[in-house]
Amino acid sequence: MDYFATVLISSLSSASILLIATLGLAVVFGLMGVINLAHGEFIMMGAYSALTATQLGIPFILAIPVAVLVTMVFGALVEIIIIRRLYGRLFDTMLATWGLSLALYQGAVLIFGSVSPGIGMPQINFNVGDYTLAAYPIFMILVAAVMLAGIYALLTRTVYGMKARAAIQVPDMARAIGIDSARTNTLTFAIGCGLAGFAGAILLPIVPATPSMGFAFVIKAFLTVVIAGPVTLAGSALAAIGVGTGASVVASFMTSVAGDLFFFILTVVLLRLYPLGVSAKWRIKL
Amino acid sequence: MKTILSGVCALALTASLSMGTAVAGTKIGAIFDLTGGLNIYGIQQNNALQLAVEEINANGGVLGEPIEVISYDAQSELSKYTQFANTAILRDKITALFAGLTSSSREAIRPIVRKANIPYFYSSLYEGGACDKVTFVTGSSASQQMSKLIEWGVSTYGPKIYIMAPDYNFGTISAHWVHEYATRNGGEVVGEDFLPLTVSDYAPTLQKIQAAKPDFVVALPVGANQTGFLEQFAAAGLKDRIGIVSTNYGSGNQQVVVSPQAGKGIIASAGYFMEVANDQNAKFVKKWQAKYGTDTPIVSGAVDVWNAVHLWALAVNKANSSETEAVIKALESGLSFDAPNGKVSLDSKSHHLNQNIYIAEGNADHGFDILVTFTDVPAVFEADKCDLVKDPGLAEHFTPES
Amino acid sequence: MEHNLTTAEKIHGSIGISAPTIAVIIALGISGMLDPYLAYVASLWVIYGLLGMSLDLVWGRGGVLSLGQTAFYGLGGYFGSVVAINFSELTGNSLIWALPTGAACGALSAAVIGYLIFYARTGPLQTTILTYTFTILLWTLSQSFKITIGEAKIGGDNGMANIPGMILDFGEDATTLEPNAMFATVVVISAVIYFAVRLLMSGPFGRVVDCIRIDGEKTELLGYDIRKYQLQNFMIAGAIAGIAGALFAAWSNYLNPSIFSVQEALMVPIYVLVGGAGTLSGAFIGSVLIGGLSFWLGGGAISGQTTLILGLVLIVLVIFLKNGILGALNSLWLRFLPDRNRAVHSIKPVTIDASVVENILADAEIAAGPPKSLETKNATKAFGGVIPVNDVSLKFEPGLPHSVIGPNGAGKSSFLKVCVGMYPPDSGDVLLGGENVSHSPIFQCVAKGLGVKNQKPQVFGELSIFENLWTSAFSMTRDKNKANQIADQILTMLGMHEQGNVEASALSHGQQQWLDIGMVLCLTPRTILFDEPAAGMTNEETRELSHLVRILAKKTTVLVVEHDMEFVRTLDGMVTVLHQGAFFAKGDIVKLRADDRVLDIYLGRRAHVQSI
Repeated sequence: MDYFATVLISSLSSASILLIATLGLAVVFGLMGVINLAHGEFIMMGAYSALTATQLGIPFILAIPVAVLVTMVFGALVEIIIIRRLYGRLFDTMLATWGLSLALYQGAVLIFGSVSPGIGMPQINFNVGDYTLAAYPIFMILVAAVMLAGIYALLTRTVYGMKARAAIQVPDMARAIGIDSARTNTLTFAIGCGLAGFAGAILLPIVPATPSMGFAFVIKAFLTVVIAGPVTLAGSALAAIGVGTGASVVASFMTSVAGDLFFFILTVVLLRLYPLGVSAKWRIKL
Repeated sequence: MKTILSGVCALALTASLSMGTAVAGTKIGAIFDLTGGLNIYGIQQNNALQLAVEEINANGGVLGEPIEVISYDAQSELSKYTQFANTAILRDKITALFAGLTSSSREAIRPIVRKANIPYFYSSLYEGGACDKVTFVTGSSASQQMSKLIEWGVSTYGPKIYIMAPDYNFGTISAHWVHEYATRNGGEVVGEDFLPLTVSDYAPTLQKIQAAKPDFVVALPVGANQTGFLEQFAAAGLKDRIGIVSTNYGSGNQQVVVSPQAGKGIIASAGYFMEVANDQNAKFVKKWQAKYGTDTPIVSGAVDVWNAVHLWALAVNKANSSETEAVIKALESGLSFDAPNGKVSLDSKSHHLNQNIYIAEGNADHGFDILVTFTDVPAVFEADKCDLVKDPGLAEHFTPES
Repeated sequence: MEHNLTTAEKIHGSIGISAPTIAVIIALGISGMLDPYLAYVASLWVIYGLLGMSLDLVWGRGGVLSLGQTAFYGLGGYFGSVVAINFSELTGNSLIWALPTGAACGALSAAVIGYLIFYARTGPLQTTILTYTFTILLWTLSQSFKITIGEAKIGGDNGMANIPGMILDFGEDATTLEPNAMFATVVVISAVIYFAVRLLMSGPFGRVVDCIRIDGEKTELLGYDIRKYQLQNFMIAGAIAGIAGALFAAWSNYLNPSIFSVQEALMVPIYVLVGGAGTLSGAFIGSVLIGGLSFWLGGGAISGQTTLILGLVLIVLVIFLKNGILGALNSLWLRFLPDRNRAVHSIKPVTIDASVVENILADAEIAAGPPKSLETKNATKAFGGVIPVNDVSLKFEPGLPHSVIGPNGAGKSSFLKVCVGMYPPDSGDVLLGGENVSHSPIFQCVAKGLGVKNQKPQVFGELSIFENLWTSAFSMTRDKNKANQIADQILTMLGMHEQGNVEASALSHGQQQWLDIGMVLCLTPRTILFDEPAAGMTNEETRELSHLVRILAKKTTVLVVEHDMEFVRTLDGMVTVLHQGAFFAKGDIVKLRADDRVLDIYLGRRAHVQSI
């Protein structure tokens, strides 16, 4: 019984980690219709920024905003230089971001080498019956919830959020009433990258920074967004929690390979049933 | 069309034959991962090769002439290994090849060097079992490392063992050896988990470990997976109750990367640690640091390459020729050499290196303290399966299940 | 139809065959003289070109970005080699085993993935992600997949060794080809595949595939089951990738999971983009160029940063060099040729000749049977709280034109879409000629005689006027000659007989509308639906259109959804008024215009009708 409880808690934690990594991608996809195949590399960029900041003496808690800033600035540049020129060209955007992802990966290898110091995980743990669980990964459940709430507030309570949703829904109309949709799009993309940077930074104690860490996340994050469909926040949350928790539970009772396989197969099944995503017919918008 | 093709074939055949009997020089080929995800190993392997060649050339070289090195960067990509191996052989006409890190790179290269009939040295720790006339292994095999490690682990911690390994050959075969040596030493494997290379979620594994209640864990994941796992293992407070041992921790300087609280107390077993105390190593480290600096500790793969180059040079000088047949005969004549990791000797039959195996403990300073030294450990499994003196035509990769 | 092509234009038109032929002859000619090492490396370039061509087929022609071609490539390589290892000793020749197995494997795996994608009508982004993750999944699985099949040992991440090289001879003494002969062999195999695919793509199959890429919805509205074409195209490409994989395995004598890696997959779109997407031969140019560059730079300059540079190259290619080298060359050449669309200026305004149209309709009735009535019974369609089609029961018969009008938001277009099959009704039925087609896919409705003219002109811009009409006609007749005849007839009806070769994109908006109408007529429809056909037409064009509709209505069921009241009046037929998704009134236009209730809903006043 204890085992089952710990499995559930840590599976929820794994799902939260997946959600944290996926939210930036979901926001960009939901609001701009763009799949940023370099999303994993922005996570990596956030991780390395935070790492470098701590190596320069900045405490970890402050290194996180540094990471967010770095990735947001870089994201804005990418949007202006690349994404904006490919507006409406779905496949071309994917290809260009894919090229970017490989360039960033190799760039990181050249700059940082392939092994770099990690950030020790806080040595806090707690007991569930006979089992102990490290506290930090469980803390991620709270982080994911706060992130969701924060993004929701950003999109519904701020002027930017209103503009972003308008600019996407009817860009010409938005422009006609004075909303600079180009500027809004840049900000949206930058926010998506900033969220990725945040993920990389906050997950640093769990997932050490390596140039190839992007690849590890990318597959599950993309599949989650694709399963989720057009309702950005609620859809991704449901997909991450549903499929992610499921895969983790399977991994705990069988092997990790079985967990991965479960994830993929469930994706294929869900896409067969909901070709445009689970939330394609939902009435809520966010 | 057919006549043209066969004419072309004949022409090409004559050309390639004439290539083979060209005058043999003292050119060696080096293909390592200087860039890409594996460069932590590759750069050091290459550095070791260059350093060894420098030393040998300073002492007169081979056959009275300096060794010339043709070096390639495999970029951590398998296709580059085969491509550059072919280039080095066909175009550069090397007489010996030092290359490879992963087992897949070795397996890709072996057919090429067999066909070209030149000696090939594989210098990295691995799962064991490589066996053919032209291949010589200076890295330690899993059976070499595991035999001593498990024996020590059972007597130090207790009989119950949990295996945590990556889901590819190195992991699965090493796991087999854990089972094997556990049985021989009165231990018992109470559970095992194989992780794909892309996994970053260790929570399920940690649950399973706790459920199985082992005395110690054999942790074999690679790269960032190793670091991540060890950090979480420590953070969950498990290190106090359960021992952790590994045959590949430290091989890529993971101890530098892992935080002190996680790294302290981890047990590693390898053929070399920079902390090994003997005259040869002192000289070697001094030379290395003079040329390459003191930033990064020296990994075992570097010493494996150093040993390989020296053994090859010894063989060439002993045979007084760089022709493959002569060199192999010399290599099989029971060569030994005082290496930084102690005295090593090349086993004639299996082409593997009898060497010391060290058991070291991670300390709080991102380094190791050597606990135990096992001298002159043979590669038992390979010696059992692979007799290239009796059966020179053997070309296999033996795995325990085969 | 006149084809006054200059010699230069004729050379330009046939360059797709002549240039590759010359290239192949040169390649074979020099194959014996090449340095063996260069021949060895060049063989790989050609193999990569073949892999690139498989992507070009799916993406450049089919319009689907698949990041999974290397998956089929790898599978073909692995299983082709398993068969080759086990059986090549029997015959000596290894390729006779490896290539068909590779092709079969590639085609089969493409069939599975293709079925999942195309028959579920997955969105384009989802498609690309699915193909990408399929490849990565194979990469992960192959790291630990170990199996021994006969003599072949697949060893997980250690891969599979001892794959026989390319052996062409039969019998016991057959030897592996040396590099120069291997190069020639690979060139020959690739050339055969290239010309075969080219032949296929220049026929009706290729035409439909191209149309799906240009406008999938329109292609389906022409009655083609686009899913089947997409699947078949995908399978052919899969087979090609599988053959390339088998050739690669024979070239390198060793295979390993890295064939499924991301780095390997990255190269393929680059080859296609560098050479030019859609050209089929572009991929070869791309692979030879990039391979050659890497070769002459000695691997030194690019090594280590290869992935970095190629990643950046991909970005630049996508943004700037959209059509690749061949595309750029083509644009340059076209500048020196006479303007292909020079005849567009001589197109006269369309005048409808009643006798011509009546002949066409008579032929259509012989070919496709009597006109079919269109009926809806309690058709309802809701989107959450919005109900654009609310329990509508209407019947339309041939003889007189029927119009459906109503204020904005009345649900006219939605009603049309329900009739066509674009919106399957939530409840109720749609009957075509008495047959229930409520849940039939669009192409089936069209095949049963339903013609649809949407509001915007939907034509295939890249194709010529004649090709547009022909594609439509072929859908029903499935016979090249009959399609030629029908297309010619309609072309004449439109008065564009001299200008058949002009690209549809060069036409004006109104001319494109006419072309679209012509395409619908090529389908010999028994029921025709028009969605605001007069939109954007001049007064003269509207007059001719009204004339056409009235003639059509005598021999087919015609339903027109319209805003333009003048146009509706000229049709002189039955008018149905919809309001808030439901039936509101029916009659002739004069009576309805005088009806206060109808005026209310149009003017938004509540004098006689409460629910506005």
